[in-house]
Amino acid sequence: MTSQILDVGLHERRRGQRMHDPEYRTAYERAAREVAQTDAVIRQLDLLRVDLGISKAELARRVNRNASSVRRLFTAGQVRPELPLIVALADALGAELRIVPRTSEAQRATHEPGRQRRVAATGLALAD
Amino acid sequence: MPPRQRGQGRPRDPSGPDGGRQFPWAVIYYRAPDQTVPALEFLDGCPGTIDAQFTAVLDAVAAPPPRFSGGGKWEAMHGKMGGWYEIRLTGPGREQFRLFCLLENGTGDELARRGLPRPAIAVITGMRKSWRTVFSERDYQRVQELGREHQRNHPRRIAI
Repeated sequence: MTSQILDVGLHERRRGQRMHDPEYRTAYERAAREVAQTDAVIRQLDLLRVDLGISKAELARRVNRNASSVRRLFTAGQVRPELPLIVALADALGAELRIVPRTSEAQRATHEPGRQRRVAATGLALAD
Repeated sequence: MPPRQRGQGRPRDPSGPDGGRQFPWAVIYYRAPDQTVPALEFLDGCPGTIDAQFTAVLDAVAAPPPRFSGGGKWEAMHGKMGGWYEIRLTGPGREQFRLFCLLENGTGDELARRGLPRPAIAVITGMRKSWRTVFSERDYQRVQELGREHQRNHPRRIAI
């Protein structure tokens, strides 16, 4: 066995340097929010499923889907979730998806000409 | 290599007051025998916003539980690329960007033999292609060759 332990900090240092670029930082933060929201919705669905005592196979049956596709969704083997599937799963669990405006950005949007009726940014919530 | 499951095989801090506390995986970049770092050359050549998105997905996947799986942008590959993971992004003009990764996990002794202080995502290389085109068999073979070369090294040869 070798006793040489490598320096694995390059990734953090590189990210730190890149974050000084405002365009990079904005893209990073937006991507991080998107990933976090997607993951949170899937995690909430899985928690709801467990709370209700429903197996993945049973949930798959309820939404007329292949059991393996639902299993993959909850076990991260392959997760490229499609909105219709997410909505169907939520419905089968007695829940629904809602778009929730982020307060600060929604307020800013109302002060921009021509954007009063638009929602600039949203959060996605699972309500049961 | 089996797909990673949430919370399984995660590094834990055995010495802290919270024995169950878990750390993020490291993110490492394979360095070739000619000292080039294919993944960093790829990322440096991407639009800055794509580079940022790749980094955000890597950070999300490497984060301790209960984080999930990279928001649908991180995928286990299949067939001849079984055991590999890719991050899939779409850039300007629908150009497709892919980052190819391997997971480094194992017992403490095995990780030490690889020179790793904790489990890691090894970023091997990346490729880009126009919308509605495909990578060739040769393209994937090149990726696999780099991966095999990476895994032959004890300790791993990585960018520092």
